[in-house]
Amino acid sequence: MKVAYLLQVLSAAACLCAAEDSGPGWQWSWACKSGRCVKSEYPISYASSRGISNITRKSQSACRLTCGQYGALWPHPTGPTTIGEQVVAFHPSIIRFDLLEVVDSGRGTREYLAACTQLFLDNLLVECGANCSVVSDTDVYVRLVTRSQDLTLNWNTDETYTLDIVTSSRVNSVTVNIRAETVYGARHGLETLSQLVARVPAPLGGGGRGHSSPRKHLLIMATNVRLSDAPIFRHRGLMLDTARNFLPLYAMKRTLDAMAASKLNVLHWHATDSQSFPLESPRVPQLARRRFGAYSSRQVYTPQDVAYLLEYARLRGVRIIMELDAPSHAGNGWQWGEAAGLGQLAVCVNQQPWRKYCIQPPCGQLNPTNPNLYRVLRDLYRDILDIFPRGEPLHMGGDEVYFPCWNSSAEIVNWMEARGQGRGQADFLQLWADYQSTALGTLDEEVGHSNTPIILWSSHLTEPGVIESFLNKDRYIIQTWVPASSSLPVELLAKGYRVIYSTKDTWYLDHGFWGSTVYHNWRVVYDNRIPRKAGVLGGEACMWSELVDNQSLDAKVWPRTAAMAERLWADPETRSSSAEARFYRHRQRLVTRGIRADAVSPAYCYQNEGECQ
Amino acid sequence: MCLSVSAERLRKVLVALTVFTVVLIAVLYWGRLEDLQPALRINLPRRWAVDDLWSWECESEQCVRREQRGARTSLATCRMQCGTAPLWPRPTEVSDLGSQSAPFCLQALRIEVHSVQIRALLEQAFAVFRGNLEALVPDSCSEEPDKGRLSDFMVSVQVESEDRDPLLTLSTNESYQLEVCRAGGSKLRAEVRAQSFFGVRHGLETLSQLVWWDDTSLRVLTRAHIRDAPRFAHRGVLLDTARNFLPIGALRATVDGLAACKLNALHWHVSDSHSFPFDSPRIPNMSRYGAYSPEQVYSARDVAGLVAYARVRGVRVLMEVDAPAHAGNGWQWGPNLSVCVNRQPWDLYCGEPPCGQLNPDNKQTYAVLGALYRDLVELTNVTDMFHLGGDEVNLHCWASELSGPVGHQELMAKWGEFQQRALQVLEVAMGGTVPAAVVVWSSQITRPPYAHLYLDPRVYVIQTWGASGWGEAPAVLQAGFRVILSHVDAWYLDCGFGDWRGACNPVVSWQTVYQHRPWTELEPRALVLGGEACLWSEMVDEHSLDAKLWPRAAAFGERMWADPDLDDLILRDAHGRLAVQRKRLVSRGIRADALWPQWCDQNPDSCLEPLDTDLKPVSS
Repeated sequence: MKVAYLLQVLSAAACLCAAEDSGPGWQWSWACKSGRCVKSEYPISYASSRGISNITRKSQSACRLTCGQYGALWPHPTGPTTIGEQVVAFHPSIIRFDLLEVVDSGRGTREYLAACTQLFLDNLLVECGANCSVVSDTDVYVRLVTRSQDLTLNWNTDETYTLDIVTSSRVNSVTVNIRAETVYGARHGLETLSQLVARVPAPLGGGGRGHSSPRKHLLIMATNVRLSDAPIFRHRGLMLDTARNFLPLYAMKRTLDAMAASKLNVLHWHATDSQSFPLESPRVPQLARRRFGAYSSRQVYTPQDVAYLLEYARLRGVRIIMELDAPSHAGNGWQWGEAAGLGQLAVCVNQQPWRKYCIQPPCGQLNPTNPNLYRVLRDLYRDILDIFPRGEPLHMGGDEVYFPCWNSSAEIVNWMEARGQGRGQADFLQLWADYQSTALGTLDEEVGHSNTPIILWSSHLTEPGVIESFLNKDRYIIQTWVPASSSLPVELLAKGYRVIYSTKDTWYLDHGFWGSTVYHNWRVVYDNRIPRKAGVLGGEACMWSELVDNQSLDAKVWPRTAAMAERLWADPETRSSSAEARFYRHRQRLVTRGIRADAVSPAYCYQNEGECQ
Repeated sequence: MCLSVSAERLRKVLVALTVFTVVLIAVLYWGRLEDLQPALRINLPRRWAVDDLWSWECESEQCVRREQRGARTSLATCRMQCGTAPLWPRPTEVSDLGSQSAPFCLQALRIEVHSVQIRALLEQAFAVFRGNLEALVPDSCSEEPDKGRLSDFMVSVQVESEDRDPLLTLSTNESYQLEVCRAGGSKLRAEVRAQSFFGVRHGLETLSQLVWWDDTSLRVLTRAHIRDAPRFAHRGVLLDTARNFLPIGALRATVDGLAACKLNALHWHVSDSHSFPFDSPRIPNMSRYGAYSPEQVYSARDVAGLVAYARVRGVRVLMEVDAPAHAGNGWQWGPNLSVCVNRQPWDLYCGEPPCGQLNPDNKQTYAVLGALYRDLVELTNVTDMFHLGGDEVNLHCWASELSGPVGHQELMAKWGEFQQRALQVLEVAMGGTVPAAVVVWSSQITRPPYAHLYLDPRVYVIQTWGASGWGEAPAVLQAGFRVILSHVDAWYLDCGFGDWRGACNPVVSWQTVYQHRPWTELEPRALVLGGEACLWSEMVDEHSLDAKLWPRAAAFGERMWADPDLDDLILRDAHGRLAVQRKRLVSRGIRADALWPQWCDQNPDSCLEPLDTDLKPVSS
């Protein structure tokens, strides 16, 4: 009789499970009306059905997928785009990829795209979630076609692609054609395809198998699609600062995932600053690992970490540009010179009261008069060159040199005096310029040629009046961090310099949390236009990390950086208000992919497009 | 039919069923395992060597970072033993705090309960305390024998009140006394004594802050004598779950943070015109029509669970169903319960889309409200305090929707009448008593001459949210009302994040939150019950909740608990202690925003403004 009792208990448990499974049989519904998804006035209840039922078709995500000119795409394509209303249900496991038309004579293009297809599938599985119904009625073929075998990702990389989807109702199959010049274009095509897919509630009675769950979902794909796409700007970046606060590798990986989802292509890594030097250099171990620059022995990036991250980024169509900020913003990490018999490599390190020697504690500035400094820099450059692809630009920092610091060092002042220099502004500027050219010369000797593009922050050295006497316009690209109202970028462009915009009063993500700065919400970020001129490479959002670490990184970077991504990719004539529905959807996408992006509106406004304007 | 079946067959059937069931269980169980596996993989702890880069030395009450030579002192140990101990909020009276400490393992922890009538509750609070210590431990306690390790760490708790079912009220005595001393040999004894359970809970929180992780083991200060009591009775944080839904887990995490900062009230603005996620047992239509989706609701069980969870942590949950304004979606199921719902152009009928305002002329409206109040009262166990909302009524909406007079005075009278009838249904919901504190937001009706016409100062408490310069609080106090302060320019944590609806600016820094002491100019001060920091959720959901709430709400916590004076020294000290509290919050799973570069954690004194220089700030 014990068995019977056990059975009773079990069946009771089964009943409970079943009760949980059934879930509520009502749902809001949406319909596309002149480009907007309009929510039903009342919730409606659904009867069980199979296939694509009303509950599927009328869900919000299904509506958004094909509503309006660009559906749910972010950034929106720049070429002719049609997205029809037709959708099919499918499951990621039945997608077949055809890479036969990827030209590859052993250079690795096919391997690259095979990896991209895996990431694409991962994104689909994440989108569908834990209770993903297996729908096997429709076969999906994705055909990738690329012509170039070049795997270099730089400012000249052709990122264009076209995407069309053809359905054959006779054999119940869907063929997606993605054609691109390079693999990076094809990768963007796959990213777009992932955004032509949405998770919708599965029909209540149908689909699925195996153990049950509160609510099943399935994936649908828009099937009447034809579009062509190419970015307006070729440098679409995000700067992360890992010196003020350390960012673990997984935080950077997560950031790269979000960048890939938004078709950004440059991670500018401000790796070091006066606070810390977390970059481990095998040739100069004193900088990080041997106690001088790192916060702790586990808060370092080993060469293996960097190499891993480079590959992680490359597979997501993103390159990494390393910045070693100098001669200012360099302190901790550089204190060991004297003990090692190399003299003072940096001066003013951690000096107090800090307001006398720098603009933010702790102080520190390299000592340009010490020849040993360049020996150390040479070793450091070699370590960087060992890891990074040939020809990759180096960001040499070059911002906010604080002359009172140099002026406070007897060694530097005497050195200048011995050369007949005074102690005026112009003299220190010359000292700075000399440092820059010696450091560049050192780098060039290590590279073996002098074609490596160099990026510098705008500074006293890049003032239009003096820049030409210090910096060669063929070598130097200037990253301007001035307000939108400043004429500096335009003046530099007129002189023939290439420029990357980091408009301080719109794209500085740390603003709003200190001093008299104000927070730039996504609309401000989106509405910042930069000129489409020869010489304008693009732009970067900057996340300085004084007031952010892994805990709040996502909330401060996303989704605002995605707003900039559309500005740089598509540079639309329209303003943020026309992008709302797609942007809210993209924020949701980032969240689904594991990024803790900030909320930008009440859910009501997401569900009721255009009602909150 | 069953009766005619032979025993043999019955047995066979039973065996078959059993086999089937076992297989079913196995399959289900395997499925669960599959679900769990990724999580297991991700959370595998990585063993790290002890950090060997830096060591800290105490120099004139400051921890100074040095290259490590020989024996290492970790930053955490130095911070605890050097200068003021980083307790948060600062206790009001520390008569003795040693700088000696001892290592121990969690196994050494024991509890001794002197108040048997609430033994279960005290044991739960102790379990929370123990969990907080466990959260500090990145690895298990090392196996190496350690000479100085405590063999026994006895926590003795004693509550003087005889109350068998302690509920937090405005008159609860939350003071406590904490004594830590060596009890001979390798034994340590911590005694927490208080009038109420809630005092003991706070004492355990303080005790948990005397413990830290030091490279290889937990350590605790071995001598302490602390007497502590809050400055204000009501110390709250407002969360809004209507603009964006917050999962119940996010609310629990917030309660954890409140407990860590000795804040004692979660003001839960559960509904608004945007949505109605509370699944009311009496009126299920509210959430059916008002929730963003069937998944985004709070069941009665969720609410009751949160209330119990919060009580153990010294926090009470005050739920607000805002009325008569800020009520739209959720009320569409009945004819004319609410008017102007989702009406456009919204700026004519409300301050923020979507519009919606209860219909004061509809008897049914009050019936529904009464039923909702009943649910809330039952679920939250409030006895002395209830929030009716009552802010930002748009008279134009009523004028355009209701039949009858449209003059300003008449419409105000209508509002006053609504307030009166709402209070009546509340009285019924509470079994015939009016709670000692019925709270409403400051608004037109709380200003003269209406306040005197429609609100009774013996009943109503006004939560003033206007900017500190508006003079709302002084006027209300003068009229004899008690107040809860929530100044928009200091304690609105949602400010500054965008112009979504011409929101307030700028972002308030923790310093602004901390330095706000409005009561220094308010009379009579006895009528100031406390304050609340508010996080309205237009621009926040569970993903950025922690970053926006913490550590700013912690700064607010110390202001409300200890209310320290303001001078440069105290601010410097607070900055350093708050940085430690932020780490504590992170260790307890709260994704608090960063306060400064890690370099400043490691060199606390060097990042603060010099005290003794006349250097002018340089702008960057």
